[in-house]
Amino acid sequence: MPVTPPKWIIALVGAIGLLWIVPLIGVALTSLQTPEAIARGWWNLGNADFTLDAWTRVWTEYPIAASLWSSVKLTAIATVLTMLTAPAAAYAFHYLRFPLRRGTLILVINAFVLPQQVVIIPLFQLWRDMGLIGNVAAVIVPYVGLSYAWAVFLVKSFLEDFPKELIEAARIDGCGPVGTFFRIVLPNLVSPISACAILQFLWCWNSLLLPMLFLREDVPLTVMLARIAGQYDPNVNMQSAAAIVTAFVPLCVFILFQKQFAAGNQVSGGGKE
Amino acid sequence: MSCANSSGGLGAMARTAAAEPARRRPLPDWGAAMVLLAPMALFFGVSVLYPLADTVRLSFHELRGLGGASWVGLGNYAALAQDPVFLATLWRTLAFTLSVTAISVGIGWTVGLLCAFAPRQTAPFRLMIFATFGISEAVSGFIWIGIFRPDSSGLLNGLLGLAGLGELAQPWLGSPGTAMAALIAAASWSAVGLPLLLTFAAVQTIPKSVLEAAYIDGAKPLATMWHIMMPLSLPGVRVAVFINLVTALRAFDIIFVLTGGGPARSTETVGFFMYRVSMTEFNLGYGAATTVVLLLAVMAVSLPAVIQRTKGAR
Repeated sequence: MPVTPPKWIIALVGAIGLLWIVPLIGVALTSLQTPEAIARGWWNLGNADFTLDAWTRVWTEYPIAASLWSSVKLTAIATVLTMLTAPAAAYAFHYLRFPLRRGTLILVINAFVLPQQVVIIPLFQLWRDMGLIGNVAAVIVPYVGLSYAWAVFLVKSFLEDFPKELIEAARIDGCGPVGTFFRIVLPNLVSPISACAILQFLWCWNSLLLPMLFLREDVPLTVMLARIAGQYDPNVNMQSAAAIVTAFVPLCVFILFQKQFAAGNQVSGGGKE
Repeated sequence: MSCANSSGGLGAMARTAAAEPARRRPLPDWGAAMVLLAPMALFFGVSVLYPLADTVRLSFHELRGLGGASWVGLGNYAALAQDPVFLATLWRTLAFTLSVTAISVGIGWTVGLLCAFAPRQTAPFRLMIFATFGISEAVSGFIWIGIFRPDSSGLLNGLLGLAGLGELAQPWLGSPGTAMAALIAAASWSAVGLPLLLTFAAVQTIPKSVLEAAYIDGAKPLATMWHIMMPLSLPGVRVAVFINLVTALRAFDIIFVLTGGGPARSTETVGFFMYRVSMTEFNLGYGAATTVVLLLAVMAVSLPAVIQRTKGAR
């Protein structure tokens, strides 16, 4: 490898990188200008008049605070439920012997082929008949159920390298399988469980289709943004502020934890769908 | 190592176990499995197994809105095969999926290989490209509305005006001829991050000695890329191709926000067609049959991954 890399490579990658964030810069600058300035183009910075007007008004014009709370609530509950239930299942599949074990495991880890579209007709009818449309459970249940395909797979892959001696020692000391899970295995699963948590957090926060169909009011940020977005709306500055609020939390999580995200993606085979 | 003192948390339970070692007989394996699997079984059953079975069942029925379902056998599928709107949607889905995958993997792969020559210097630029992957499809759709806005506040029309090509300015999302290209551009923009990441991760694992040997032998960067890095990064790229294919195949969010499937259904793919038929026209049986077609397409693309996972399931 050359000690000093060729300049043209850095320049080319730099140009592509800058090109890639132009749309993001556009949204940020749009949120800081008046509708009149935006009509001339947000990039005309010479005669732009910057204002925080959109950022102060967006909170009252759109139900941002309620949607933010809804996003936090749905995402947090679904993430915690996955963090609790997927490791228990992965442990049972990996260490315990029971009838239909391999068949069930194959079914669960291959459920990643299921597009979200498959669940919407049956669950829409089911929730409607149970009176659950508009209830947070209507969204949280499929959020958690659809996470197992990669969450169980991810934790189980981690268990492949888990020292067998620890499990055997616990067993000899009279620890039952459930106790072994809670006392020996679970405390050592911090890294795969946090990888699961990050993936599940991003997926739940960013999803649109399920909450759009199964919730009425108190919709999360993505649904609110989809409702207010439009080509011909003059309030582009406030919409942009709302978009930044929607993207901010997952983007921070994503950038902070990219390494875990990458590792998770490599074994899970499920992107941001 | 004893069972009782090896735990980090759950102190109370651990102490109980220490006080009365092995007094209670541990659960047999299958009993413990039932306990540990029960919560997953509940969520998985309600939101994967039941919907899967019910979608397949509904696809053999005629069902509109709240009315009763009547058995029509393969009627819905026969109707789909003759529905010119659906057939056009199938071709459009294929074009969208292949274009987005080819563009995003092509750019991500190339940039990932280039970055390997200057990992430190390109780190901030990699992050700029990769960050778009952390942005939801809904927000990406909104962002790209801003670029394709029909008036002079749209970036693309604005740039064309600045370049003296003002006569090329047009309502990109408003005409069937250009809306699909706009959608592909937006979807590719947000899909480049993953192939970039996986390519870069793959080339990082190539031993330094191999690259140094190539350099000493006088190989130019492009030759090193072509002959050494490209083949050695293939495993990572394969995963990226697979994930991007599946993601594009079942796309919905970005289409819904950016174009709403329009104009004149020119940006509807199967994943969106299914939504329109079942959730806005309440033609549930027909919608279910469309969903089964989508599921089969995703399964076909996923077959290698399914085989790999099934073999590895021990």
